[in-house]
Amino acid sequence: MNITQLLFWLLTVIAIGSALMIVTSKNPVYSVLGLIVTFFAISGHYILMNAQFLAIVNIIVYAGAIMVLFLFVIMLMNLSRATETLKNKWLQIVGAIAGSCLFLVLIAALKNTEIKKNLVEMGTGDIGLVKSLGRELFTTFVVPFEISSVLFLSAMIGAVVIGKKE
Amino acid sequence: MNAVLLSGLLGVVMMFASFLFRTKAPVRILAILGMAVLLVANVLDTKGIHFFHVNTTGFLSFTGYALFFNTIVIACTLIFFLISSKDMQKVGNHYAEYFALIFFILTGIFLVTAFTNLLILFIGIEIISIPLYILTGSAKKDLKSNEAALKYFLMGAFSTGVMLMGIALIYGATGTFDITKMNIAGLLKSNLLTAGMLMLLFSMCFKVSIAPFHFWTPDVYDGAPNVFTSFMATIVKVGIFVGFLHLFYTAFDAIALQWKIWMAVLAALTLLVGNITAVFQQSVKRMLAYSSISQAGFMLFALVAMNETAHEGLLLYAIAYCLATIGVFGIISKMTDYSFDGFNGLAGHQPLVALCVAIFMLSLAGIPLSAGFLAKFYMLKAVIQAGGYMWLVIFGVLMAAVSAYYYFRVIQAMYFKEGPNHFSGISAFEKCVLVGICVLIVFTGLFPNIIFGWMYF
Repeated sequence: MNITQLLFWLLTVIAIGSALMIVTSKNPVYSVLGLIVTFFAISGHYILMNAQFLAIVNIIVYAGAIMVLFLFVIMLMNLSRATETLKNKWLQIVGAIAGSCLFLVLIAALKNTEIKKNLVEMGTGDIGLVKSLGRELFTTFVVPFEISSVLFLSAMIGAVVIGKKE
Repeated sequence: MNAVLLSGLLGVVMMFASFLFRTKAPVRILAILGMAVLLVANVLDTKGIHFFHVNTTGFLSFTGYALFFNTIVIACTLIFFLISSKDMQKVGNHYAEYFALIFFILTGIFLVTAFTNLLILFIGIEIISIPLYILTGSAKKDLKSNEAALKYFLMGAFSTGVMLMGIALIYGATGTFDITKMNIAGLLKSNLLTAGMLMLLFSMCFKVSIAPFHFWTPDVYDGAPNVFTSFMATIVKVGIFVGFLHLFYTAFDAIALQWKIWMAVLAALTLLVGNITAVFQQSVKRMLAYSSISQAGFMLFALVAMNETAHEGLLLYAIAYCLATIGVFGIISKMTDYSFDGFNGLAGHQPLVALCVAIFMLSLAGIPLSAGFLAKFYMLKAVIQAGGYMWLVIFGVLMAAVSAYYYFRVIQAMYFKEGPNHFSGISAFEKCVLVGICVLIVFTGLFPNIIFGWMYF
């Protein structure tokens, strides 16, 4: 086991551990912090796969902008107290069964997808670099790229419609 | 491609109109004119005259079916503008922005009907969904509207997540996003593909409110402002349905054995839940929300049948269902009381309006000589032709009979009961539009061949 593989397993343990922390912790602030750690760990995975651009964007957009916004909302709304609402027992049982079924299906789906090559792709393949990504985006994928501008424009108009004072 | 680009541009134009015009009338006229231009552009596209020459690099393919369906969608939206655009003023101050959002939604519908790549499907569905969340919550002072928007947003975002997961799994199994190049037949035993296909199926079912993914529908349709309920229950729903059919017809036909029986079960369950619950409603608006669920069950017959008749039937269903429901909602948004009692004695106060409502209800129930009858007939015929699902056909006929009960309840209230006037008045022009819709419904019911002739021309 060389150092990159060690790094891979370390990042994996961190990612899964912090992901578990998100759902198990009673305090929403801890959940958000766990989510940030998960994002960082996944960014580490991206770097191991030689996808620098994705790693940086993941940190800037998700860990940087969105999670800080999340944290602010939770702090401003003062949700940090653990307020466990009493849930219906049957609903909990049904939820557990449904979740387990989904888990089973996903395991079945993923059981044939073993990793045939290396776990990490250090120094090989350049698809994740900014240059080749940009070239793909403006040649092969230019249609969806341009069309998504309509999506963002409509979201902006929506923000004005919802947020502006009447 | 004409319609996609033009509708996006018209959305931007409507955005600028919001600060260029001080009054509301020019905004409305501009929107109606824009929709008419869009209609002409799309018809020209069907005839082979393209304004824009865009190399879509295999992401979009505008077949004759998709273009013809787009024409129907634009024509229905034009009718919707003619009858309901005045009532949009009552919703809030952002009159021009509502039109801009509707133009953007149309862009999304055109993408969803013509995609050949799952990326475009995803972007199209999102372009449809996000403006709809906003339109649902546009009545900001109304608590019910706020609740509906939040509910719709949370559920919709979750189902979009499921859809993305499904697309990712399908990519993992096939190695491509292109639905024409997937080579599904070679992957019959792939669990990865099956799981991805099921996730895609569930999220699409959510978007068109198929039971048991329908729980958001009554609350959202009931809470949203009347004019926008009218739009999203009709045009948006049939638009996504065509995308749904296109996706499963093109991509997953080779593994039909895996999902067809479930599609039939979903259709039966949707018909049962929609119709039985609609019977117990007290508000006409909420009844129409459940009726839209049950009509979605009928439209799902097209996905069970998967043949030429099913494609034609879905077109007819789109026409029949959109016209009738837009008409009814056009009238409901002029009523002060939406309950069944509010319709009491409407025939005495407004004979013409009551007659129109009666025709819409008859068409929705599927009474012969109306477009609704023919649409249901085509759906049942398609399933019989496909063979093997006779129980579904019988069940569908039974449920259509149940649906007659709650549609006729409105007619009974209008003609055989007495009550005070809850109708706030209607202009002569809007009366003409209503009569025009009725004529279209009866005309489509009598001469469907003219529509199909136009489609294949």
